[in-house]
Amino acid sequence: MSYGDDTTVIARTVARITLPLVLVVAIALLFQGHNLPGGGFIAGVLTTAAFALVYIVFGMEYVQETIFGDEYEPAGSVAGPLVVDRYRTLFGVGLAIAAGTGLGAMAFGKPFLTHTDEVVKPSTEYVAWIPGADFIFGTLFEFHWATAFVFDIGVYFVVVGGLLAILAVVGGE
Amino acid sequence: MTEFVLALVLGLLFALGTFLVLRRDVVRVVWGVSIISQAANVYLVTMGLLDGTVPVLEGHGEGAGAVTDPLVQALVLTAIVIGFGTTAFALVLTYRVYEEHGTIDLLELGGETDGN
Amino acid sequence: MATEQVVVAPLLVALVTAILTLVVHRYVRVQKVVSALGGLAYVGAVAMLIQRVRSGAGSHGVEGVLTYQLSEWGAPFGITLVADDLSAFMLGLTAVVSLLALAFSIQYVDEAGQRVSYHPLYHFMLVGVTGSFLTADIFNLFVWFEVMLMSSYVLVVFYSGPQHTKAALQYVVLNLVGSAFMLLAIGGLYSTTGTLNMADLARRLADPASFGISLVPVLGLSAVLFVVFALKAGIVPFQWWVPAAYRAAPAPVSAMLAGVVKKVGIYAIIRLYFTVFANAAPMDLSLPGVVGESTLAFFGPVLFIMGAASIILGGVAAVNRDNVDDLLAYSSIGQVGFIVIALAFAAGGVVAGWEAPDPYGSVAVLGLAAALVYSLNHALAKAALFLASGAVYESVGSIEFDDLGGIAGRMPLLSTGFFVAALSLVGIPPLLGFFGKFLVFDAAVNAGSNLGIGLALLGAILTIAYVTRAWNRGFWGERSEAVEQATPQYGLFATVLVLAVVALGVGVAFDPVVDAAIDAANAALGTGDYIEAVGLEESLTSGGGGH
Repeated sequence: MSYGDDTTVIARTVARITLPLVLVVAIALLFQGHNLPGGGFIAGVLTTAAFALVYIVFGMEYVQETIFGDEYEPAGSVAGPLVVDRYRTLFGVGLAIAAGTGLGAMAFGKPFLTHTDEVVKPSTEYVAWIPGADFIFGTLFEFHWATAFVFDIGVYFVVVGGLLAILAVVGGE
Repeated sequence: MTEFVLALVLGLLFALGTFLVLRRDVVRVVWGVSIISQAANVYLVTMGLLDGTVPVLEGHGEGAGAVTDPLVQALVLTAIVIGFGTTAFALVLTYRVYEEHGTIDLLELGGETDGN
Repeated sequence: MATEQVVVAPLLVALVTAILTLVVHRYVRVQKVVSALGGLAYVGAVAMLIQRVRSGAGSHGVEGVLTYQLSEWGAPFGITLVADDLSAFMLGLTAVVSLLALAFSIQYVDEAGQRVSYHPLYHFMLVGVTGSFLTADIFNLFVWFEVMLMSSYVLVVFYSGPQHTKAALQYVVLNLVGSAFMLLAIGGLYSTTGTLNMADLARRLADPASFGISLVPVLGLSAVLFVVFALKAGIVPFQWWVPAAYRAAPAPVSAMLAGVVKKVGIYAIIRLYFTVFANAAPMDLSLPGVVGESTLAFFGPVLFIMGAASIILGGVAAVNRDNVDDLLAYSSIGQVGFIVIALAFAAGGVVAGWEAPDPYGSVAVLGLAAALVYSLNHALAKAALFLASGAVYESVGSIEFDDLGGIAGRMPLLSTGFFVAALSLVGIPPLLGFFGKFLVFDAAVNAGSNLGIGLALLGAILTIAYVTRAWNRGFWGERSEAVEQATPQYGLFATVLVLAVVALGVGVAFDPVVDAAIDAANAALGTGDYIEAVGLEESLTSGGGGH
């Protein structure tokens, strides 16, 4: 028996092709979110859309049995199936990360939620003889880190966890 | 011109939302509420568009006023996220109403509850 | 200047507790312990903040007003938190009620219910309440309102059976529409004044010409905003959601809704209308029945009419209810009427500059102090009564008066708690309620409002009537069958008793409370200090220049 027997070949094929694309776009949006359009919320919504596609095409059992390796159980108990529990934990962890970045700033004596960022460039002092060193080390390896990114990851988890929990509970009924 | 169109759209959205909120069908009521809150969001964006004064840039010399106010857009983003959550909740609640009473007609619901 | 992390402490404690309870939700026992510890830590954080504010610490050289810039963005662009005497007073009230309601819910809400999400939601509601009391940014106020309301939606629906789904739906839809209106009013205020920061708003309204502000739309928008706050506070004519929602919610949640969440509406009215909009430059108001130059000249009569209607409607309706929760719900409409009418006297005092004897100095301060003390009394007494109603339900299995009778003999501990809280609601010395009512009467006398005195008297008589009826039908008389077979829940009774004892203790040691209330009233009226403490960025003030 395979999953998704009751959907068409077209739906299954399209889902296989679009799924990675959607996820890549979601991650790209997540990574640029701290200083360009994008961010944790929209990336989370896209990821959830990808999961919703899997739900529709391959069914709830597929996600529960293949991805998480759980026994499939339909919704019904008060807390819902185990997978809802997992999503809820993800939601909590995401919130903890987001709040944690805010609290981290307080350890440095700054107000809650203060963020910082810095552009790091490796020194080209010892590798200046390599042709194009400035470009390779100065531009390609230039790294702009921002604590706001960690906050965004927290938001991402919150959105993914929350929306998937809603989908699993309402969809399971 | 933009102002006129937006004002018209806002009026229509609020009228539609109010009309739906006053329906008997719970699903329509939820639709109405979400349309009203979307209309409020459109209104917020409009507020930034009309004047063109940007508080962050205010006092930074000539030309600053020509930029659309980014603050209202940040506000609307927040409001959209909140509206998203509340709409999801309201729909789940509607589903529960249907499950428990077998109807989503507010008047029939009222008939059942007023007796207790 | 060192950052005063203590300002944000209560907010963070509640937030961290909410997150922790969410993360450990699989382990019910651990979750309970975390939740209880979080409740205690919240009280600790609030106590620290109150101590700091009362000892005169302040920002930008203003004593007793602490400000905090989230993310280190300067005012008016960043979000400012302000802790002054008014915020501290409200937070103190919240801390006491929330801790005891939490202790009650740990015993009251069943295991399955606690496992799902009761504790995280409870603490998120606390986050919303705390944020609303601390913020100095009107959009941020909207966000905290939403945090508070979203949690309260779920908590109201949470425990309710099929017969309450409609009430819950009504509550949710009504508040969603209210939120949309709040957003409209905020958007309009931003577009007319160009700022969202309350201190900046007050400053700009005081000097409308140089900021290019027209005051007339501001008055209209503030009236829209007022409707939203009145809805949250459940004042007539926006009271009709109250009884159904309180009946649907589990007892500790009703206690929080009546005791604390309603007070958020009251606080928002005090903060925005007395601190911010009252600072507006004089304008010509020529509405029917309204004469004056201040925005409060318009809101004073409105507050008076709404408060009077609440007292009468709530009181009369409460007399004739057939179950305890309904009676308490209508009673809380009436009691909020007392608070609002005291605010009306204060508004009149601001407009007309009426004098009042020391230590108040003016009717404005006296009226606000009366409203605050009455809020505290209502929070303690009504929370105790709702918890008592929950305890009766848990022990006897019903809160219909027809099924009750003779509880006093069967469960003396619970009855003592109920009796003391009920007396505090009526206003018998030396309980806190006496001082609350006394201050409201005092404000009415000093405002020279005979109508006000009459209304307050009528309200007091109605209170006595319905409280006596509840006592007679529920606690005295023949023991009903249900009461005879009841299984007393002593843990729940203890919580009720503790709240009642707090109401008694606060009444006996009233001096510090009234001092705090007077300081809070002065803080609410001290717009100048408020603006100065927020420390608006110098380089970005009015386009006119001059510095």
